[in-house]
Amino acid sequence: MTTGTIQLIPIVIVAVMFAVLILSGLRNRIRNASEYSFGGNYAGRMGIGAGIASNWMSAASFLGLAGIFYLKGYFAMAYVIGWTGGYVLLLVLMATQIRRFGKFTTPDFVGFRYESDAARTIAALISIVITLIYCVAQFRGIALVVSWLFGIEYIPAVVVGTSLLVSFIVVSGALGVTRNQKLQYFVLIITFILPLMLLTHKLGYFWVLPQFGYGEAITELQQQFGLNWSEPFANTSLFKWFALCFTLMFGTAGLPHVLSRFYMVPGIRDARWGVVWGLFFIALIYWSAPAYGVLARLFEARNGLLHNAGGGDAADMIALSAATLGGLPIWTIGLLAAGAISAAFSTTAGLLMTGAASFSFDIYPRLINRNASELDKTYAAKAFFLILALAVMVLTFKPWGMIAEITAFAFAIAGNTIFPAFLLGIWWPRTNSTGVICGMLTGLFISFAPLFLSTALPSAAWLFPLTSSAFIGAPLVITVMVVSSLLTAPPSEAIRLFVSRDVHECRNS
Amino acid sequence: MISNSSDTEPSFIKPQGATMRSEVRVIKLVLAGWFLAIVGFQLFAYLLEANYSALLLTDLTFFNLPIQFWLTGQLLPLWFVILCVIFNLWMDRHTIQSSEGSLRFRIKAKTGEDE
Repeated sequence: MTTGTIQLIPIVIVAVMFAVLILSGLRNRIRNASEYSFGGNYAGRMGIGAGIASNWMSAASFLGLAGIFYLKGYFAMAYVIGWTGGYVLLLVLMATQIRRFGKFTTPDFVGFRYESDAARTIAALISIVITLIYCVAQFRGIALVVSWLFGIEYIPAVVVGTSLLVSFIVVSGALGVTRNQKLQYFVLIITFILPLMLLTHKLGYFWVLPQFGYGEAITELQQQFGLNWSEPFANTSLFKWFALCFTLMFGTAGLPHVLSRFYMVPGIRDARWGVVWGLFFIALIYWSAPAYGVLARLFEARNGLLHNAGGGDAADMIALSAATLGGLPIWTIGLLAAGAISAAFSTTAGLLMTGAASFSFDIYPRLINRNASELDKTYAAKAFFLILALAVMVLTFKPWGMIAEITAFAFAIAGNTIFPAFLLGIWWPRTNSTGVICGMLTGLFISFAPLFLSTALPSAAWLFPLTSSAFIGAPLVITVMVVSSLLTAPPSEAIRLFVSRDVHECRNS
Repeated sequence: MISNSSDTEPSFIKPQGATMRSEVRVIKLVLAGWFLAIVGFQLFAYLLEANYSALLLTDLTFFNLPIQFWLTGQLLPLWFVILCVIFNLWMDRHTIQSSEGSLRFRIKAKTGEDE
């Protein structure tokens, strides 16, 4: 979607939005510094929900979902269900119990529960790998929007986007900006829904609830242009749909930066109700995202344009293209661009800092410098933050899929490794360190197997697709964990008592 | 004390104690509702497509959305929210009942009524 010209008004809108978010963060810090934890503002359950939703909303939700819907139609519903249904798993199986462990990061949890430094280090490495892959998707989104804003090619846009992101994180850190997550969610939902309402209004559809209004576009596409959306499994199979959907759900319940929300909330009831609000806020975006894909197809058909002439890059920018093709004023497209950049920046900032913390606390003092002081760890975190950002930038030069697909790969790794480790760690006291180490290594193998086994073993690639491997992978890893735990010595009595009495309140054990 | 045998330990398959047993029961119910809705809606769409082709799926609409779009894209996320609300309401009620129960026990013990 590179136009070769600078989009001045959208650039101003993006700049103003970031200025507002930073100033609001500064105001929060000055006014109520003592009331905030480092995770942000926890004013009530809706606040926790807004925090969960704004933490979750990334380029994948803002740009990727519409793009994949534009290309694959009904199949993309697997993303909608995967990324919302996972919160049910998270709520009923983990949210309450994680809080009772009193740990602050995924490696912390694994190290404590399984009483193993090796397991903790593997969990830290996996967290970094997930961060790396997840960030590639975000960087791709940032680069595509920057490419459109400044009228430059994709590769220079990746470099400019990375520089802007690193500068943003450094400046925010230096000023001590606290994220105002409620404001951020409000900005995201407005910048996403308002252009959609204007589009449906312009088309004469039911614009008050554009989440329903776009149904008329499907009818028009079908009746006037012969585009049939009514055969959901015509170009795919039930297995592929379920594999993707369940992989994303297992991944949602296993992503380190999602789980981290529940270590820090003030109370268990607040944590539970926060999930409900968070899920509702997330659903508001996901009810709307398919509309952009459908409307883009309609505008293409009306203008006699070829479907997907611009390839994956254009598809990932389809939300902005739909607004352009629909003839919306440039400021509304600027709003969409601002929302997308904001979503990608906040997610990436959190991920990179989590990755850097994992390295400086779990890997650096254990594997590289055993006598590291606190100051050494701080320097290690800063250095690794920059290395991670550079590594992501290089990988983003030639990404291996669309935004949603890259993100799905990160979910598959989380679903195959962290999800089983947490699930059994919480619900089966007999799981031991051998079990979790074998399980996480098996999960890593399953996640990456499609990359190097697809030619030698086509059936393995069919069973474990790169974006959808946790559907079969996670149950397999759980089986490996159970068998290897049963074949080796049980964990210490202290940790089994802790899980039974403190986590599950079984006083009669 | 916990014995070394895993048979006596609480787990999701074999919950122990009133609190855990009732919690696991409601979790299983919520997960059943979650799983059946996801699988059921897709099987419904798949069977309609396989048996009646696009004709029926085209005619079946809700707010102009083809029925499978509405069921999967709109209703299922809403259903997830409803399931979470039900779970939380149950957990809240259960927590209050548990705390009331332990309070009664403490009061009785203090006044010596149960001695």
